[in-house]
Amino acid sequence: MEQNLILTPEIASGDFLTIFVASALVLVFGGLYVGLFTAVKVRLLKPWFMIIGYGFWLLTVYCLYLMGSLMHVDHFTAKALVVAAVGLLLVPHAVYYMQDHVHRENEH
Amino acid sequence: MANNALTGVGSESKQLATWYFTFAAIIFGAQLVFGVVAAIQFVEPSFLYGVLDFSIARILHINALVVWMVFAMFGSVYWLLPDETGIETVGIKIGKLLFWIFAAAIVVVVLVYLFIQVGPADDTTIWFITEGREYIEAPRWADLGIVVVALGFVANLFFTGMKGNRSGIVTVLMADMIAFSGLYLCGMFFTDNISMDQYWWWWVIHLWVEATWEVFVGSLAAYALITIIGAHRKVVEMWLWIEVAMLFGSGILGLGHHYFWIGTPEYWWEIGALFSALEPLPLVAMFIHVLYDWGKTQGEQMGAEHTDEDHVKSVITNKPAFTWITLNAFGNFLGAGIWGFFHTLPQVNLYTHGTQFTAAHGHLAFFGAYATILIGMMYLAIQGTNGIKVMNHTKASIWGVSLITSGVVGMTVALTIAGYSQVLVARAQMGGTWQAYFDGQAGMWFQQAMDWRLVMGVVTLLGFVFLAKDLLTSGKSPVHER
Repeated sequence: MEQNLILTPEIASGDFLTIFVASALVLVFGGLYVGLFTAVKVRLLKPWFMIIGYGFWLLTVYCLYLMGSLMHVDHFTAKALVVAAVGLLLVPHAVYYMQDHVHRENEH
Repeated sequence: MANNALTGVGSESKQLATWYFTFAAIIFGAQLVFGVVAAIQFVEPSFLYGVLDFSIARILHINALVVWMVFAMFGSVYWLLPDETGIETVGIKIGKLLFWIFAAAIVVVVLVYLFIQVGPADDTTIWFITEGREYIEAPRWADLGIVVVALGFVANLFFTGMKGNRSGIVTVLMADMIAFSGLYLCGMFFTDNISMDQYWWWWVIHLWVEATWEVFVGSLAAYALITIIGAHRKVVEMWLWIEVAMLFGSGILGLGHHYFWIGTPEYWWEIGALFSALEPLPLVAMFIHVLYDWGKTQGEQMGAEHTDEDHVKSVITNKPAFTWITLNAFGNFLGAGIWGFFHTLPQVNLYTHGTQFTAAHGHLAFFGAYATILIGMMYLAIQGTNGIKVMNHTKASIWGVSLITSGVVGMTVALTIAGYSQVLVARAQMGGTWQAYFDGQAGMWFQQAMDWRLVMGVVTLLGFVFLAKDLLTSGKSPVHER
């Protein structure tokens, strides 16, 4: 029977803290991006906050990159992380678009 | 169309819901007591040794968690069904009978765990004492009873949904509860191969908490937003369908992150990595959900009143429930999202798997994603059964929510520190050997973290005492508008 052996590069001990913090910040910054995006759209905040929101999305992307690099992710996982980053950028737009249309139809 | 008039008085379905909530609250208290016992045993291993060993305290802690949540979920459905369908629940007498059967079975199982504890390594143990699988350790006779109760519950839900007005929320619940109940069957049979056994066991655990339970929570959040802040039904239900699609889209194959190290083929690495990376997205969507609906509804209120912001009346009609539901949005995001994501990819999970990181994630995720919204539903029931128009916070409700939240967050931080020390010592430096397992728990950081976990566990239990007092007395409090 053929033996499959998966070898993965070891993570340096000093990198674990950075990995965990960066992973947590992925969702913290992602949440701030989504929160600001939604708050501006429903007019709880002024429009210029949107720029800060997109800034948080860029920070999310950087944290994903940092986390993935230090973990030595393989090619497939790297692509999965890119999909997640693009998804996080687009999903609030798509969801808000659909939601707003339903809201308008409901009101008028 | 369905109404949300909170007509708790006179509805047999809502009366049954209060029974379920009451039993759930009792088991919730038991869960916390046995959790504190287990936490003491981590710090002082001889505590209750030979009387209530750690293995038994842990069984009671984690199984009570599942049981009280299932009871509260059933209660939530019986509570919202008359509002959503516009009719009394079909088969309510059978529902009441099944409640007593379910409650009696749980009491017997708990007594067996407490006083018999272990049995011979043969079929009698599996049938009458414990099946031995984490979270679903009920013996087989109780398993079969749970299946009968669940079938009766699902039948009541379906017949009511088909007879009355079938709203989007009820439709989602009907589909979700079939999957919820059906998946339990995957944890009822044994195979001789431990990898295969774990493979099916994860179908129950993962597909419950990261798929069907999350969809259930989405349905409850939708109902609660309509009820508490008067959000538009069409808007809320549109959200719900999006969340269902996203949760099932990422959650079902997110199952792969449990299959990294149990002997399953290596393609699960790639499936687990991809869908685990996507799993936070629906949680983010749920976060927007609450913010959007509150912002829109409050904004309309401000526009309607034509007044300055300081004098605008809040649209929130049940402040304790809304507090818990807001905590749900944050807690789900933090516990399931952040604490899940930072050890979900296989490259890092190799080091974190089986450490206290998992316990940290479990504590915050179960609390944030499920306990919060189910407690919120209990407050909705109190409002409904006592004819309260606007329910305000009492001192006990503020103490309850503050202490429970602080306690759970504190436990999570402590367990994270413990897990981090295990990752560094037991895994990264010592390579995950048998000796490393013990050395990883002998360090100062690990042991002090366990001390703090105990302290924060006691804080949580204290918070529960305030919560229980509030649930028992708040209905008659003069602070509410009637």
